[in-house]
Parts: sequence; structure tokens; C-alpha cells
Amino acid sequence: MPIEVILPKVDMDMDDGIITEWKVAPGDRVRQGQILFDIETNKSVMEVESPGTGVIRDLAPITGEPIAVGTVVGWIDADAEVGASSPAAAERAKTPSSSATKEDAVGHAATSATPAASVEAATVSPSDSIRATPLARRAARMLDVNLAGVTGSGPAGRIVEKDVAAHAGRAPKSAVAGADRLVPFNPVRRIVAQRLAESARSAPHFFVSAQIDMGALQAALRHPGAPQSAERPSITVALAYLAGRVLALHPLLNASIEGDAVRLHARVNIGVAIDDQGDLFVPVLRDVPAHTLDDLAREFARLRAAVRAREIVPDDMRGGTFTISNLGMYGVDAFTAIINPPESAILAIGRTADTPVGRDGQVVLRPMATFTLSSDHRIVDGVTAARFVADLREAIEHPEGLS
Amino acid sequence: MPTELVVPEAGTRELSYAEAIREGLAQAMQADERVFLFGEDVGVYGGAFGVSGDLFHKFGPERVIDTPISELGIAGAAVGAAITGMKPVLELQFSDFVTLAMEQIVNQAAKIHFMFGGKATVPMVVRLPGGSGTGAAAQHSQSLEAWFAHVPGLKVVQPSTPHDAKGLLLAAIDDPNPVLIFEHKLLYKTRGPVPEDAYRVPIGKAAVRRPGRDLTIVGSSIMAIRAAAAAARLATEDIDAEVIDLRSLRPIDLSTIAASVRKTHRLLIVYEGVKIMGIGAEISAMIAESDAFDFLDAPIARLGGADVPLPYNPVLEKAAVPQEDDIVAAARRLVREGRA
Repeated sequence: MPIEVILPKVDMDMDDGIITEWKVAPGDRVRQGQILFDIETNKSVMEVESPGTGVIRDLAPITGEPIAVGTVVGWIDADAEVGASSPAAAERAKTPSSSATKEDAVGHAATSATPAASVEAATVSPSDSIRATPLARRAARMLDVNLAGVTGSGPAGRIVEKDVAAHAGRAPKSAVAGADRLVPFNPVRRIVAQRLAESARSAPHFFVSAQIDMGALQAALRHPGAPQSAERPSITVALAYLAGRVLALHPLLNASIEGDAVRLHARVNIGVAIDDQGDLFVPVLRDVPAHTLDDLAREFARLRAAVRAREIVPDDMRGGTFTISNLGMYGVDAFTAIINPPESAILAIGRTADTPVGRDGQVVLRPMATFTLSSDHRIVDGVTAARFVADLREAIEHPEGLS
Repeated sequence: MPTELVVPEAGTRELSYAEAIREGLAQAMQADERVFLFGEDVGVYGGAFGVSGDLFHKFGPERVIDTPISELGIAGAAVGAAITGMKPVLELQFSDFVTLAMEQIVNQAAKIHFMFGGKATVPMVVRLPGGSGTGAAAQHSQSLEAWFAHVPGLKVVQPSTPHDAKGLLLAAIDDPNPVLIFEHKLLYKTRGPVPEDAYRVPIGKAAVRRPGRDLTIVGSSIMAIRAAAAAARLATEDIDAEVIDLRSLRPIDLSTIAASVRKTHRLLIVYEGVKIMGIGAEISAMIAESDAFDFLDAPIARLGGADVPLPYNPVLEKAAVPQEDDIVAAARRLVREGRA
């Protein structure tokens, strides 16, 4: 019996995925466990392994469109069965949307029909036949976009730069002035939109702000006794470290809603919002109170590098119990954030600026930053939030544990 | 048309292209007694297109010399005069007749500097009225500049404005090696601002006539004029064309073209010479080989002369070389549809 290759469910809240690249071509011999293709889903790209050993055929075309979980996207024949074509898969392969994939589909159908030629055909991988301008290829390299998933709008389905930019959610460099553009959401933007709209609709947000003196923390991080690893801890990591210790004392802020109950998490896992080329990622620092600042700095550096390389996996972004978002580096004084569901709170951090404050009857300049906690009022009351912020202030203004 | 293309400088007046060349010749002859004019009917008659005008009367028959009808003889005598230290400026009545002077220009003038290890040079300037549009038929209407741009040792320039016609002429006369100036017959009467002083336009430097973002149109001579007019029309339909006037074909200012292509991502090359095997092929290949390649978002497009001897019939003659409408259509196709 031929073995079905299906689009697997690789993430809990995944309904569909986009095949971005086939690593094999029709007619290739594949082993069980060999990587067959990449799917883009839920904030990450995952590799999918072969379910069996044999010769692969009837690969679904790469259209850039989401394919439902469980859909058959190819077949593997054991050696004796090579050449037996599946009419259903061949039919599917003939109904792509763009003309670029039509060429691919015809190629695949021809391979299925003439098994003798399949070895030769297999040496031409689908990516070799992508039609794209040099600028589009360059943009794809810069934005880390796989051209196999981009639909071309040029002559004969040629991919031009604006197609790549649209795929990546960027304004094209080559845009001709004057025309509006409709840019479809990429998968990351789709999930962000869906989750945050849900949070804004269902969680009654309220906000508590405080100006906190950052002088002692800055001094502690500069102190020679401070961790001297290659990855020097940033203010953001230090704040995650301190927030983790404070959260351990405030279980309602390290909680999530489940129907009519609140789940108080045993561990403090802090998500840190990161922007990469316009896409929002929230990788999670796990079990923060159990780790040193040095450990966290190293782990954060790893996560940030994974985001930039677009190699971050869903596991790295799952299981957060609290989130911090720091826009201080962009010169923002203060802002409010939308809670990352199903968590109960998120901490928004503004820039540190020398600010006149009263100290011992004198006006002095101190490096102050505004922290704004957004809380879900279904779980957290005003006083609960205020106590957390007060303890956080104490931890930041007296960071003795750091030095 | 050309009046819009050049920023007037102090002491400028409006002159025609032919008058600007004549002024340049007079200034060079005044400044350097080794400079002399040489050609068929350049003296008493004032030149086939009236370029030398009254110079015969100003400088006399020893410096403005009428020659027999022998292009090979004119070019050979000029090469000899140049080697002995003179600075001949010769005129071929129609650039088409350069075929007769080919041996002296290509095999002698271009090579002597190299073959004598720099001990002899040929500071010679050849003025060649070229191009179509005057109803002069196949033997008097060609654009043969690409032939000479192919030869190491020759420089080739193609001015589009009165300003550049004078400035490039003076730079060519300064040059210690042979320079061919392809003037356009249709441009002689066009007018534009020309400074009074003996300024130079550097050989090998293109001019950006109009900055733009959506495509680069490269042309020289009358094609630069037509490209600028086409760009003004394209602007009304939201296509912002950058127009580069090459001015020199050899040396060619590749870096200006490449910088423009990196910005606009699309290149249209317009030239009057026959399209195939022409100057457009060379520019296209240079850009494809350069680091600007990665910035192309559409095929490189060429508009050139039809692959026919130029017709005498004025309608067919016009149809055989790129016109303003053709440039507008090609630019629109390139920007809107991504097609060459």
C-alpha cells in the first residue's frame, strides 16, 4: 500500500499550515524520518519527517495558501509500487491557483505518468523552477522569505519584489507611487491579530502605573561584581529576573483563567516581547526564579538569535505565565499593553529618562522609568495590582541580589 | 526642448547647437594655433550643416581647409598632422561616409599611441553629423557610433544639448588621443543656454537630466531629449522616470547608470542605432554583470532602431527609430507589467 504523507498537527492551536518548501522532489527515494518539507505555522517554521521509506510522488504544489491539518500532500510508494499513481493526488496537484504552480503541477503529473523519466525529473527540485526577478530574490534573502511560498504577480507568474514584500508584510522598495496596496497577513501577523483581539474583547483590562528609579539597577548591572558572561544582561533581562522573583510572591498575577476557575501556576515563565522586522514574537524564559541572571541572559540571547534566524520553535513560545514588553529603547515614555491570553497581566516598560524628583526636600535628577501593569480584572483587583507594583519598585530600586 | 535640461550659468546666452559648436571651435582656435579645421566644404561654404559658418573668414584658408571629396584622404592627412604636433578637427559631411575613413581611424589613429609606446599620439577630433529624420535615406541617416565605441583607443561622445556640444568639443580638442563626436542632424537648430567662456564638459561623465524613482531611461543625443520629453508625459500618469543622458559612449559612465538602477530597479535603454548588436546590448550586459543586477525587478528593456536600412519614406523613417511615443509605451509596459 502507498503511504500517505499528511500535513501533520505540530502545534496545539494549529488548524492549518503553509508548505513553504519541499526538501524532496517527485521520484526521490526517501527514508522513514528523513525531512520531507517545511511548514509555516503559528509563529514558526517546522520540518516534517517522512512517515515511511520508498519513492515519493504526487507532492502538493506550493501555493502559499494554508492547507488544513490532515490533508494528504503526497504519497510514498514501496519499491514494487513505483509508478502506480494516485488519481486523487494527481487531480489535486492539477488545481493550483497561480500560473507558476501550474508549471510545477504539470511537471509532477508528467513524472507520475512516465516512471522511466522520474529519476531525471527528480534532479530538478521545485525551487529550481521558481521564476523571480533578481530584486525579488535579493528581498527574499534579506527578509528570509522562502520564494516557494510566494505567488508571483509578474508576467508568467514571475515573482517581483512587491510580491515578496507583501508576503513578508513590508512596503515594497519598488512600489510605484499612488496606488493603495492590500497586503495579506502572514502567519505570524494572523495569530497575533487573532489572539490580541480575543484578549481585548474578553479580558476587562485595567492599568496601574508607577515611576520607578532605575539608578540602582543600572549601577548594579555596571558593577564589576555583576555577571560578566559573554551575554551581558540587558535591562530587559534584569527586569524579567526581578519580576520573576516578585511574581513568585503574587500568585494572582502569575495565573490564567480557565472557565470559572483561576489556574495559579507553580512556575513563573516570563514571555518577553521581541520585534523582528515587523513581526511580534514572545519567547518565554522558563522558571525564572530558579535561575541566575547569568543563566537568563544566556537563554534570552539564544531565544533572540532564534527569532532573528526565524528558527524559533513553538515550544520556545509556549507556556508563558506573564509577559513583559519594553519599548524604552524606542524613546517611549509610557504605554499600555494588551494582555497575552490566557495570562492575567502584562508589564509595559517605558524609557529611562533623567527626571526631576523630590528627594529629602530637594529636587534632584534621577533616572526614572514608567512601568504600567495591565491586569485582567476578572482575576486581579486594583489592590492586588498595586501591591505587585510596590514590590516590583522595591526590587528594582534595591537590587541587592544582583551585585 | 533642451532649454529645460540645462541650468543656466553666469554669462550664458541662448545659442543653437550648431552655433555652440562654432563658438567652441573659434575659442579653441584662438587659444591654440595648432588647432585647425579640415573637411569637405567647411571653408567658403561654411559646412554642409552650416556649423563652421564664417570661421573661414575669421581664421583664413590655412586654418579652415577645404579638402577634396576623399574621406580616407581627410582622415589620413589629419592623422599625419596630429602625429607631427597639430590638433586637427575634421568634419565628415555625413557620419555614414566614415566607412571610407575607417582604415585611418581604426587601424591608425586608435593604435598609434599604443604601438609607439606613447612616443606618438594622435590628438585628433572627428565631427560626424549622424542620425535620421531628415529624409536623407539609407546612406545618409545611420547611427554608427557603436562601431567606434568597440575600438580600444577611441573615445566617442554624443552631445544632446548646445551646452554639451560646446563643452564636449573643447574637452575633445584638449584630449591627447582621438575623439569622435557624433552630432545629430536634427539637433543643429535646437537652442539652449550656453556659457560664454571656454568651459569643458568632461568626457566619460553622464548627466542625470531628471531624477526619478520608478525606472531609469538611458539615452544619448536626440534619444536623451526624447526620453526627457517622455518622462514629463509619464509623470502625468504617476510613473516617475529617471533620465540619464550618457553624453559619452566611450568611456561609458557605468557607475551613474548602475547607481540609478539600484534605486529604480528597472532599466530602459533607448538608442537610435540598430537595436541588435548595439550600444544597448553592451549597457544591458554591463548592468547584468554589475552589482546592480541584484536590484533589477524587471527584465532590462531596449528600444533601438529597426533591423533595416533606413527608409527614405518619411513615415517609414520615423517608424524605424524610437520616437517619444515608443519610449512612453515601453516605460509604461516595463513599470506596469514588468515586461521588456
